[in-house]
Amino acid sequence: MFERSDPKITSTQAAIFLTNTVLGAGILTLPRSVTESAKTPDAWISVLLGGGIIMLVIVLMVKLSQQFPGKTVYQYSRQIAGSIPGSFLSMLLIVYFIVIAGFEIRVFAEITMFFLLEGTPIWAIVIPFIWVGGYLVFGGINSIARVYQIIFPVSIFVLLLCYFFSGRLFDLNHLRPLLGDGIMPVLRGLKSTILVYTGCEVVMTITAFMQHPQQAVKAMLTGIGIPMVLYLITVVMSIGGLSVDSVITSTWPTIDLIRSFEISGFFFERLEFPLLVIWMMQMFCNFCSFFFNASLGISQLFKLKMAPIIFGLMPFIFLATMVPVRINDVFAIGDAIGKMGIGIFFLLPVLLSLILIVRRKGLKQNV
Amino acid sequence: MWSTIVSYIPGWVIFMQAALTLLCPLGIYYIYKKLYAFVSNAGPKMKANAQPNKDSTADSQVSGQYEADLSYVQQAIGGNSDVNFREFVVQGYELRAVLIFVNGMQDEESINRHVMQQLMFGNSGMKEEGQDSRETLTLSALKANLLPLTELEEVTELDKLQERILFGYTALLIEGIPAGLLVGQPNGSIRAITEPTSEALLRGPRIAFSEVLSENTSMLRRQGLNKNLEMKVYEVGSLVKRKLVIAYMKDIVNPDLLEEVKTRVSRIDMDFIAESGYVEQLIEDNVLSPFQQIQNTERPDRVINALLEGRVALLLDGTPFALIVPVTFSMLLQSPEDYFERWLPGTLLRLLRFFAAFMALMAPALYISFISFHPGLIPTELVISIIETRQGVPFPSVIEVLILEVSIEILREAGIRLPKPIGPAMGIVGGLIIGDAAVNAGIVSPFLVIVVAVTAISSFSIPMYSAGITLRILRFVGMMFAAVLGMLGTILFILLIFIHLTKLKSFGVPYVTPFSPLRLSDWKDLYIRAPLPLMKRRPEMMKTQKKKRRN
Repeated sequence: MFERSDPKITSTQAAIFLTNTVLGAGILTLPRSVTESAKTPDAWISVLLGGGIIMLVIVLMVKLSQQFPGKTVYQYSRQIAGSIPGSFLSMLLIVYFIVIAGFEIRVFAEITMFFLLEGTPIWAIVIPFIWVGGYLVFGGINSIARVYQIIFPVSIFVLLLCYFFSGRLFDLNHLRPLLGDGIMPVLRGLKSTILVYTGCEVVMTITAFMQHPQQAVKAMLTGIGIPMVLYLITVVMSIGGLSVDSVITSTWPTIDLIRSFEISGFFFERLEFPLLVIWMMQMFCNFCSFFFNASLGISQLFKLKMAPIIFGLMPFIFLATMVPVRINDVFAIGDAIGKMGIGIFFLLPVLLSLILIVRRKGLKQNV
Repeated sequence: MWSTIVSYIPGWVIFMQAALTLLCPLGIYYIYKKLYAFVSNAGPKMKANAQPNKDSTADSQVSGQYEADLSYVQQAIGGNSDVNFREFVVQGYELRAVLIFVNGMQDEESINRHVMQQLMFGNSGMKEEGQDSRETLTLSALKANLLPLTELEEVTELDKLQERILFGYTALLIEGIPAGLLVGQPNGSIRAITEPTSEALLRGPRIAFSEVLSENTSMLRRQGLNKNLEMKVYEVGSLVKRKLVIAYMKDIVNPDLLEEVKTRVSRIDMDFIAESGYVEQLIEDNVLSPFQQIQNTERPDRVINALLEGRVALLLDGTPFALIVPVTFSMLLQSPEDYFERWLPGTLLRLLRFFAAFMALMAPALYISFISFHPGLIPTELVISIIETRQGVPFPSVIEVLILEVSIEILREAGIRLPKPIGPAMGIVGGLIIGDAAVNAGIVSPFLVIVVAVTAISSFSIPMYSAGITLRILRFVGMMFAAVLGMLGTILFILLIFIHLTKLKSFGVPYVTPFSPLRLSDWKDLYIRAPLPLMKRRPEMMKTQKKKRRN
């Protein structure tokens, strides 16, 4: 009656959906991974450059999706590439989403065990998290978008507050020299920056849910722009506050940064607690996005209802979470996901676009 | 290669846990479905029961044959000791007539003067004008010339007539006239109009609804001149019927919303609707939600303001509580006073209430998670002083909190029932002495007493009593979450509430508007109460016909 019953989201919601899908684990891991590979203070240029590349990728994805209004990648990939190859590509994407979902929870659980709940068995952290996520995914795209809309402003506010206060540690000399070793370290750093933007593949499904798909490019670029700026600030602040050497040696540099100063006379004195809280919520959003997209994919691929798939995916996500044994395995998976992301990029949007162009322009087919 | 893969295949414990991950939510889902189906099947059916101005044709009509009608009524209700039949003869026409009424509910003076006197003596002049008027005493002539009453209703069905008589109307049957006339309104004893006790204000009208529906509707009408305030009456209750009025602004309300309200009201199927709470529970969207989806109020000014925002009000006879639909979460934290005071104090109070709601919901959970799980996250000096005071306490913090919280809840429940003169005394004994003694006895820590007291006071600062109860229930759930998983549990609890709220709807309006779906223009009446000159538009979420508040 008042609210549309068909699953459609506004452009703002779509942008926030993308932001909340991408902004997550990277807040804590990105500074170390990018400086580790770049080994110079120029790591922040890599973030900027990576963001620029991802923006181009996203424009490509949106343009592709806009050719098939109201259809997700799971549906139009079969239309473009044929039934079997299309299904195969969709399957690949689904597996990719499940792996990321498991990875996100694992990182979440590791941090929680390290900072908040020492000695708690990992399953006790992971399982309730999956359940609550399942409850959200049950509500469909509308419910998810609304929860994101509530969490998003709080997250941004707290994050910026943390960075604002960490400004007192900021030393511009830590960021110098600019491009001292040339452009090569920046390019090396690109590899790890791509990882933090993984998940932007959801663009190919959200566009289908948008109320005004013609605004998709603007909305999605905003959606990726916000995490890009935040990641940039994260890296600049971490390196500027801690120096390159300490960022490389610390496991969670952002938390170390926030921990290393106290605001006396304030209730919390240290801001790591609010940072952890909003980071957990952000991880929850991340996880739910992938959970939703994976179950949506399966449901559209096999033409099944959502409910049984959501239940069915829960144990698989749990297993995906538990497969890495040590924390180094977790990081290895992270790298693998980054590589998978690049592969997915070439297989889905690029390949599909090429086929589409060939079929439409070259063979004059009506796809 | 193969051996590396094998080494990463998790052990059987993990697989058992994976199975647990699947089975638990499946079980919960199944139970929820069953429960929901059970509740909604037992509830109202899809058929329309109550209809506006029901025109059912009963078998027995008032025939106009005096003897037959009278004996029918006498047989049906004459057995009641308090039903009186006063027979007399209409002067000038020599027609027999009877007044039927229930003892104590007739308006003696008005009946005597305007009915008895008129019919027995007053129409002598008329007879001279027309000699054959004995034949022409018709219903219309009777109404036009003989009965000087403003409220006069004619009833043609005998069964309906009996119902009305027993409800307190005074009925008049006259030989030859095929209708019963209700000449007197029920005149039972009613309560005086008092201040709204559940929504007391310092500034603002001190008038509250009473139990009489006509009084309540008239209070709404008297709010100001307006030709668009429309009220439609429905009859609810299958065995004991009551009037239910749907009030709305004809030119503002969204027609879809109105239609939805009407269909839901007409679906009500219950033998007796004792209070508007019955209506609320029978027409709400989600029976299993802890949040109320319909607002109840006893303030006419609140109702009229809601109507002007494009909402719909339901007034039931016999209760001072009117219902307002649809309701959103932010409305539960608003009070009419916000608008009566200037905007700065109004804004401050708003913010205070949001904070109080947060405290009422989360304070004990935060206490548990900080004390039991993460003492490292609070400043060191504070933690030392808290730990010092907790030294002798033999319980884990969750038991400690539960002891005090449960006693406060009991005290609060008992406080409502205590006789007025000893109420405050018991409050002091219960709150102060027990709290102090518990600290001295070493059962709880003094810091916790502060937390629990702040929580209790916070939940009273919420303007809607029913919303306060919701927070009280959820507070205990939050404590359980915190006791199991500390801060993580608390965050999961908050997320659960968010998720539930975003799924909830009240008559099709998402419960958390304007947070989400985001309606920035409605935010000027959310955390802040913007100056009145800025509030030019009605809430966007209501999708009203007239968007602007001014011409």
